[in-house]
Amino acid sequence: MKRLFAVTLGILTAFGGFVDIGDLVANGLVGARFGMSLAWTVVVGVIGICLFAEMSGRIAAVSGRPVFDLVRERLGPKAGLVNLAASLFVNLLTLAAEIGGASLALELATGVNYLLWVPAVAFVAWLVMWRVKFETMERVFGLAGLALVVFVVALWQLGPDWGELGRQLTSPPQDEGAPTYWYYAIALLGGAMTPYEVFFFSSGGVEEKWRPRDLVTARANVFVGFPLGGLMSISIAACAATVFLPFDAQVDALGEIVLPVGLGLGQIGMALVIFGVFAATFGATLETALSSGYTLSQYFGWQWGKFVRPRSAARFHAVLLVAVVLATALILTTIDPIMVTEYSLVFSAAALPLTYFPVLLIANDPDYMGDRVNGRFTNALGTFYMILLSLITVAALPLMIATKAGQ
Amino acid sequence: MRAREIHAGLQLLDRQVVRVGTGGLVCKVDDLELQGDPPYVSAILAGPLALGPRVGGLPGWLMVQVTRLFRPEEDPQPRRIPMHLVNEIGSAVVVGGEPAEPALERWLRENVIARIPGSGGEGPPYAEPEHATGHAPRISALLGRRVTDAEGTVVGKVADVRLCQDGPLLHGVQNAFRIAGLVVVPERTGKLFGYERGPGGQAPWLVRAVITRWFSGSALVGWDQVDASSARFETPEVRLTVPARDLAPLTDLYEREPRG
Repeated sequence: MKRLFAVTLGILTAFGGFVDIGDLVANGLVGARFGMSLAWTVVVGVIGICLFAEMSGRIAAVSGRPVFDLVRERLGPKAGLVNLAASLFVNLLTLAAEIGGASLALELATGVNYLLWVPAVAFVAWLVMWRVKFETMERVFGLAGLALVVFVVALWQLGPDWGELGRQLTSPPQDEGAPTYWYYAIALLGGAMTPYEVFFFSSGGVEEKWRPRDLVTARANVFVGFPLGGLMSISIAACAATVFLPFDAQVDALGEIVLPVGLGLGQIGMALVIFGVFAATFGATLETALSSGYTLSQYFGWQWGKFVRPRSAARFHAVLLVAVVLATALILTTIDPIMVTEYSLVFSAAALPLTYFPVLLIANDPDYMGDRVNGRFTNALGTFYMILLSLITVAALPLMIATKAGQ
Repeated sequence: MRAREIHAGLQLLDRQVVRVGTGGLVCKVDDLELQGDPPYVSAILAGPLALGPRVGGLPGWLMVQVTRLFRPEEDPQPRRIPMHLVNEIGSAVVVGGEPAEPALERWLRENVIARIPGSGGEGPPYAEPEHATGHAPRISALLGRRVTDAEGTVVGKVADVRLCQDGPLLHGVQNAFRIAGLVVVPERTGKLFGYERGPGGQAPWLVRAVITRWFSGSALVGWDQVDASSARFETPEVRLTVPARDLAPLTDLYEREPRG
């Protein structure tokens, strides 16, 4: 009974924690411009993140080693350092975007300009990382993020023409060029498969001291929680497609992305969705900030983690502090948080193979895994994703330049 | 019982060092110190002074120079963990003893972290870290080195160093890892990612196929096939005493290390 409770709680946490500012922005934007025609990329992204999160979780449970340990160990110090620099850069952009997102949610709730909320959000986020236990932190914000289920309810309330939404699945709008279409496909994939998710997931496994017997819980989180989260992402796109696509309206603010919920469910819906957006982006603020500390510490072999007191992991906590300060400074330059999000999505998509390749190799290494190495099916799928991700790496930046970042 | 054989690059370098019992994270295996003739691994080297030269280029140079700036000694050397303290080599390297704390950690704790309320109890007691003395050769000096055979033709470069645990007894507790041989690959290739080991770690199929093809022509060199002066690190390249055609192919590893 206790076990069932733990598994359910884990699934709900993974479900509520899946969506972050990247998913919100990418799906809202894409839904309004392309209807449901890019929904398939969310499916591809969710399968991909399930695949690699399961592998990294299994590695963490069996060998106790988190992802960035593997990156340095298998790629060596040089390529590892390149990956570290790229990951830290993307992470910092994402962290800035999440802080911005949480502040924008507070602006929607209070009417006070988001820039005034930024320092407060950053400070509270740091305080949570400083004091709150890892498990409590993950649970509270994961469960609070479940409020975003209102997107699913709102879609049903809006009563869209389901046949029309179905037709859009296979036919992109005529007035958008192919490069823009593929550019946004990459952004959506970057949103679903962001590398920080596996850094956080596997380091979290080590923080919670997973053993091989915890694999059931880890797999349930991944294989049930993540797809449910993906469903939530698609419903965000569907809401935007229902409300904005018929008018050719451009979506470029968080207030517009949550507007369909207000139209479908009124004030209570609006309150819930703003709460959900805040919980999701604030939770992701913690995840991305911690990921910066995890990657840097794991590359250099420093003591890291919230399972020891801050005093015993001084370098790790110093990195968290610096990361939060830098990201706050970036957002306070009044740069548009939504734009930062878009850029961070494409850069993360470009950096994916650097992280996922070593995970795939180690998941096949019997030195680490004993008899828990990958099966044939996982390997076939893993190989397919490696090819796909390499293509994306090559295509991402040229597409970004060619489409002027999707304009 | 046959002595344990491991590949230094694959199974030792860049792995996490953890403390026995508490599981505390100590450092990475940034490099390995060699001693004796025939050489054996005498210590794990850690810290920027060991990592920097391996990273190379501007980032590596910066790592070394910045660290030198903050160290009081004339000719600072990296931290050293003697091999007799190593309890286990697996997915992490487990060490005993009281591993000392690096200066950066201590400085940040005393000046930043401990000053913020709620940083927790006392940190670990401070112990002066043991630093390497003098310029003992490091195993990274072998990695990537060009290999020429008895006739002077280039065979390739060193991709990994094979270690065999039948060296001299260290502190009466365990045998040292002696250099037993080299894995030599064609010059225009990169990392083998562990696919040289045969039956273990052979999936996914496509990765193995690509790597096997790329690395065809790789060879195994026994340490007895290495010229004595290069074995003492006196020459810029590793010279062999036998012609290239006498070298064992890399696929020999498959039969020598059956699974399980």
